[in-house]
Amino acid sequence: MTDPVARAVEALLFLSPDPLSVVELCEVTGESPGPVQRALAELAERHGPGTGLEIAEVAGGFAMRTRADLADVCDRLRERPDEDRISAAALETLAVIAYLAPIGRPEVGRLRGVAVDSTVNSLLDRGLIEEAGRPQGGGAMRYRTTRLFQERFGLRHAGDLPPLEDFELSGEEAERVRRQLIDAGHIATGDRPAPPDGGETDG
Amino acid sequence: MAVPDALSQPVALDLFEGPFDLLLTLVLREEVDLLELPLVEVVRAALGEGARERWDTNTAGELIVLLAAMAELKAKVLLGEEVDEEPDPDALEARELLAARLVAYAPFQRAARWLHEQAAASVGPRYRRVPLGGAGPVPPRVEDPALLQSAMAALLVAVPEPSLDHINTRRVSIPDVLDRLQRALRRVRDVSFDELVRGAGRLEEAVTFMAMLELARRGEATLAQPVPFGDIAITGVR
Repeated sequence: MTDPVARAVEALLFLSPDPLSVVELCEVTGESPGPVQRALAELAERHGPGTGLEIAEVAGGFAMRTRADLADVCDRLRERPDEDRISAAALETLAVIAYLAPIGRPEVGRLRGVAVDSTVNSLLDRGLIEEAGRPQGGGAMRYRTTRLFQERFGLRHAGDLPPLEDFELSGEEAERVRRQLIDAGHIATGDRPAPPDGGETDG
Repeated sequence: MAVPDALSQPVALDLFEGPFDLLLTLVLREEVDLLELPLVEVVRAALGEGARERWDTNTAGELIVLLAAMAELKAKVLLGEEVDEEPDPDALEARELLAARLVAYAPFQRAARWLHEQAAASVGPRYRRVPLGGAGPVPPRVEDPALLQSAMAALLVAVPEPSLDHINTRRVSIPDVLDRLQRALRRVRDVSFDELVRGAGRLEEAVTFMAMLELARRGEATLAQPVPFGDIAITGVR
């Protein structure tokens, strides 16, 4: 590898504790985005599947990290803290915040149908969400997901989520939910208004 | 992944163990005998200490409506009344709202499942989490030895002894004064307190006073003070 930009970028990715964005790499190397991106492509090729490292786009930047299949051997060198398990309730709260950020606790609570204070506190403590200021004119503190969240869930950037519409129940599925509820005796049969066909604005 | 909605909450009873909505279904299909169902335990499991989540007011309200409907049904069965085919319109509305909310919330539950899979797929890679150190410590400059000497000299001066003048030294002790009092009382029958402490300091006066009280306590003397703040006569008991 003779490209001096690629060498510099490789050194920076090796050294940096956090993923570096193209902008940051341009600032540090004094190069324009074109050569930096070419350097990243060259490095990705150089650290191919046959090597122990990979260049990954994660959490709003690029990081040099070990390949997933080497996790066991890596953990023998460095004891890894037990991955703290994220409960189902916390995952759903995270999903709501990831899609609707910035969003305050009352809205999340209304949407989830349960009090979310302790879940939100726990997510804050674990660094998966952060404060995103209060709305103009006052109101409850709003939250958004963090870079750690993106890293933990392997997202390239904050918006790297499938469209929420992809997760919506199809008319058929919604009807099945309704049917199940009717079968369970929760809803009377008959001509009731169809359930809303989306979940983006509940509260 | 478990869905934290009110209806899928697990209920554990002797008669039945499983999600709440299944229990309701079985009751309505008469596969679980309502007469044998301990409703109070169902209520505890759904809303009491056994509840998996602390429901918000709306959900708790919906659960209460459902449980009330079950209670009403059971009451009618117990009384041998015909079971009403037409449910209460309020309960219907609550159920309809519950259904609408389940459908509206479903995308987030699916998104949460997707996140769960993402997290599982992202556990492999390891990052080099070594913080970037700042610049190393600045090496000391070479200074003039005379400057160091003058700086050190100030530190080597002996610290002056602190003055203890303001602290009273204790010149009297209760046993001493007690002894003196006892000897005085062996010589004369009455001793005047004022006479005893004439010319003495406040501390000595206080110690003498305590010794006098001690003598009275032991029954070796009686005390008399005719006038408040006046002299005290100490009379030995023979």
